[in-house]
Amino acid sequence: MIEFSDVGLRYGNGPEVLRDLTFSVEPGSFHFLTGPSGAGKTSLLRLLLLSVKPSRGRVTMFGEDVSDLTHDRLLQMRRHIGIVFQEFRLLDHLTTFENVALPLRVLGQAESEYRPNVTELLEWVGLGERMNALPSLLSGGEKQRAAIARAVIARPKVLLADEPTGNVDPELSSRLVHLFAELNRTLGMTIILATHELPLLDKFNYPRMLLTKGELVIHD
Amino acid sequence: MIERLFALLPRRKGAAAIVPERSVAGHTLLLMITIMSFLSAVTLGGVVLVQKSAIAWSADVGREVTIQIQPVADEVMDSNLRTAVTLAETTPGVASARALSIEESQALLEPWLGEGLDLSSIEIPRLVVVQLADPANADIESLERNLATINGASLDTHAAWRQQLNTMAGTLVLSGLLVLVLIGAATVLAIIFATRGAMATNREIVDVLHYIGASNKFIAGEFQGRFLSIGLQGGLLGAVATLLFFAAIGAAAGNMLSSEAGAQVGVLFGRFALGVDGLIWVVAVVPVIAALTAITSRMTVRRFLSEMS
Repeated sequence: MIEFSDVGLRYGNGPEVLRDLTFSVEPGSFHFLTGPSGAGKTSLLRLLLLSVKPSRGRVTMFGEDVSDLTHDRLLQMRRHIGIVFQEFRLLDHLTTFENVALPLRVLGQAESEYRPNVTELLEWVGLGERMNALPSLLSGGEKQRAAIARAVIARPKVLLADEPTGNVDPELSSRLVHLFAELNRTLGMTIILATHELPLLDKFNYPRMLLTKGELVIHD
Repeated sequence: MIERLFALLPRRKGAAAIVPERSVAGHTLLLMITIMSFLSAVTLGGVVLVQKSAIAWSADVGREVTIQIQPVADEVMDSNLRTAVTLAETTPGVASARALSIEESQALLEPWLGEGLDLSSIEIPRLVVVQLADPANADIESLERNLATINGASLDTHAAWRQQLNTMAGTLVLSGLLVLVLIGAATVLAIIFATRGAMATNREIVDVLHYIGASNKFIAGEFQGRFLSIGLQGGLLGAVATLLFFAAIGAAAGNMLSSEAGAQVGVLFGRFALGVDGLIWVVAVVPVIAALTAITSRMTVRRFLSEMS
């Protein structure tokens, strides 16, 4: 599903922030992406999200070389990728329901079409009672669950999560990773979860991608 | 109030605006667009007024020609006047011809010579006023030829005045249209700056929309919706202000027209009544300004987005 071959990434004329990355990710797998701060986790996620193109090497996603993609095709492919951010990035003026429904609106669905699905998903992530609340009234855990719901509502093939547990307490972190695991198990979604919380890595026995100074030192 | 009215406009059922309404420098832009709409509509109204007055004045003057008979030694003025009237009346396209009496002729000279002068001792030129039934087909050349048989007679068709009036009106109309173009350009520039400001303010929303796979077209559409709404509101407010302005000017001119000087202004500029065609032009400013706002913002957003990617 995802293949990296000798991939390097630099921003402008700066030094390479990612070097010689070679790995593949199988459909339906779950990977932790870990490493110290500044190791390049977010840059790798940006490559996976197709928001930047590699400076060298070859990245293949869903069978297509991303370097050759047109803007429109890139956009279509991005719709197969969900993203969850550490800082949630919910739109403050929209309710939980409206935030989660956003990807379906972007796809051109009418509210009558998406309302049952959004409602069902919000019930599933435990936000059924908070559907009409604005993000400012949600707790950190609720915001992250809303962000996860938004990322998966359009049933992406790949779900990327950038430090999704960074702003919640350890107990909630564990529950959030359980939620990701459930999505992986029930929907067969490929998940790459970036975190530097070692206890989580120990608690959940998923393959790890360890980045250090821009290089992948472990991929199991 | 006006915003509440616009909030009642139909929108996609149940879907909240992705671009927050308060984040688009709404009030400042609304005021600016209202002012621009007002200026555009007043300019358009002024152009319509000038054109209508010029056409009406030109048509009035064109329906009349004047025969002037100079006093010539050994010629009998009354006889020449009668001949001139007869020649005029027998000319095709002439409705009537009337010689001005000596009193009327003297009255015409009063503005230059003053009142109370006894002019009976001197010979003054006399006039025959000829009303044309059909100015386009009146045989003026034939009348001019026939008048050559009368010593001291000449024909004034007011062509030079009409030409000058048409030139002046045309210049005013062109100037008005140029002002309109400049107002349009200023409006477009202001919308571009406002849109870029709104995009910068809403950068987070744009990023999120990009991450969830929204196309530039979709994002531009969301911003365009907000700007279209502001453009419609501004255009409508500007048009209403313009109609009130012309109503006030019309009322003031109506009062002026009771005086002699006001009457002359009325003859020159009409009664400041826009008429149906003028109203249509003023109301047409609303969709034009709204469309200009929406199209400009859409193009600016798409350019901004392509610069981002």
